[in-house]
Amino acid sequence: MSKAITVQPPSPLRAFWLKWRFHINILLLLVPLGFMPKYFADAALFRGDSGLGEREIGEVQVGPWSVKLAEFRNEGPRPDPAGPMKAFNAALCATCGEQVKATYLRIGKPRSLRAAGVIFFGTPYRMGALLPIPERTPVDAELWITMEGWDGAMHQASIPLSQASPATVAWLNKRGVKP
Amino acid sequence: MSKKSRSKLWFLVHSWLALPIWFFVLIVCVTGTLAVVSQEIVWLANPDIRASKPSDDAELLSYDQVIAAIKRDEPQVIVRSLSRPDESHFALSVNLSYPDGRSLEVYANPYTGAIQGISPSFDFQQFTRALHGWWLVPFTNGFSWGWYLVSLLGLPLLASLVTGLVVYKRFWKGFFKPTLRFNHGARIFWGDFHRLSGIWSIWFIAVISITGTWFLIQAILFDNQISISSEPVVPVMSREKVPMSSPGVPAPMIPLDDAISIATQRIPGLEASFVSLPSNAYSHLRIGGRGWYPLMFQTAEINPYDGEVAAAHLLSDRSALEFVTESMRPLHTGDFGGLWIKLIWAFFGLVLSMMVLSGLLIWSKRTALATLNAFKRTTRAPQEQAQIPAMQAQTQEGNP
Repeated sequence: MSKAITVQPPSPLRAFWLKWRFHINILLLLVPLGFMPKYFADAALFRGDSGLGEREIGEVQVGPWSVKLAEFRNEGPRPDPAGPMKAFNAALCATCGEQVKATYLRIGKPRSLRAAGVIFFGTPYRMGALLPIPERTPVDAELWITMEGWDGAMHQASIPLSQASPATVAWLNKRGVKP
Repeated sequence: MSKKSRSKLWFLVHSWLALPIWFFVLIVCVTGTLAVVSQEIVWLANPDIRASKPSDDAELLSYDQVIAAIKRDEPQVIVRSLSRPDESHFALSVNLSYPDGRSLEVYANPYTGAIQGISPSFDFQQFTRALHGWWLVPFTNGFSWGWYLVSLLGLPLLASLVTGLVVYKRFWKGFFKPTLRFNHGARIFWGDFHRLSGIWSIWFIAVISITGTWFLIQAILFDNQISISSEPVVPVMSREKVPMSSPGVPAPMIPLDDAISIATQRIPGLEASFVSLPSNAYSHLRIGGRGWYPLMFQTAEINPYDGEVAAAHLLSDRSALEFVTESMRPLHTGDFGGLWIKLIWAFFGLVLSMMVLSGLLIWSKRTALATLNAFKRTTRAPQEQAQIPAMQAQTQEGNP
């Protein structure tokens, strides 16, 4: 080799490139390494090891019952074929597990139980709902929680969307309110 | 183009398909191999997941008996779903909801219903699958770009198979005269190894590359909202179907075992190897299992208050296209016929990983040799430029 180099000396940079060009792809390993903390944080979030959601909203009194709400992720709505969607998690109060037949979530006041919004899926200890954010949601919108008893009794409460999800309000502000 | 230069060209294509990304391909092959037997690895490492028989005449419990046993040990928990693994040496996998809000998989003994252990927060099975399947890149809007990155490899893999067979003249002779020369130096050994393992892996590489490419197509279809599924979208139950009751008294549901027997009577051949309990007052009980065709599952949605079968998705409901597309995943993972098929898949996965390595070794040894030769030539005749030194020795490959 040394004899050859004296005849045609390649620049050190070129020699380096020729030697290592097929090994640059080892750097692709940085991708899973970089995402690993996020992967384990997500795994803990799904298991419930890190709480009800990324951001807890607090306890909301709904008639005789109460529910603990959380944003599943502390971020604005995610795009979906059916329009932007925002995921919330909830846990019923310790004594109302047997009392409550169903819990619903809606932006704006529901006209009736039949239009109470999206229903929560899961168990009284941990349930989730995927809330569609309508096109014309104002930034001062209210998030309505409707709870139904086994005898058909209905109780409602609301909290400002800005309290439920500041990230969604920021997202609405950025998007601009549709007329 | 002459025959010789055409074979040169094919050779170059074959080399370039994996060479610049060899390490990425290698890690995907190795993690894929691990993922195939990940459940077995966990079985070896964690006694909690083993289904030990308390006595020789112990009998398997029914789902209701398992739930009753869990409720007896942990009265507060709520059972969300149960699943009987295909292989009888695995414990039942049960999803439990705890009062503190955690939702965990636990391993329950199929003979006693005792909770043997809680799945650890580091789930080896899920981790290897996520690393292999999408390079841990999170899914935020549709499929993650990591999924695309990995599934794109199906195309060069398929092309490697085709060009490899084109370059390897009369490869079928290798079946009758297996050649693996140990004492002719590393370059010859790895060349023989690459060819020998290549021809015996033709079927496996074809399966993995085609199913891998399907994962790419699947992501493209999904991200463009194109569906080919015949599976019915089952809405929640209407208000009329859920009985009213007194305040604080949930409407009674029929026992799980009864619901399963009603459904399996109405739908012959329906197996209940997994059960998802209703996830609210208006949602169905879902049961499912493999049908006569082991690569696909059949499911039924049942009204938990009266046992009425609300919807079913059976083999007979599937279109011919779905038989092909739904078979892709089990064919890729080797998870459709128990331990032996998994072990065959893992073995060939290892061979495929070794092919990536041997391919790299052949290239680097030949390139080094060719470069040396080229330099020697330039020393003798400096005006004569060696254009693509690596190609000089490559034509040898086709005629070993």
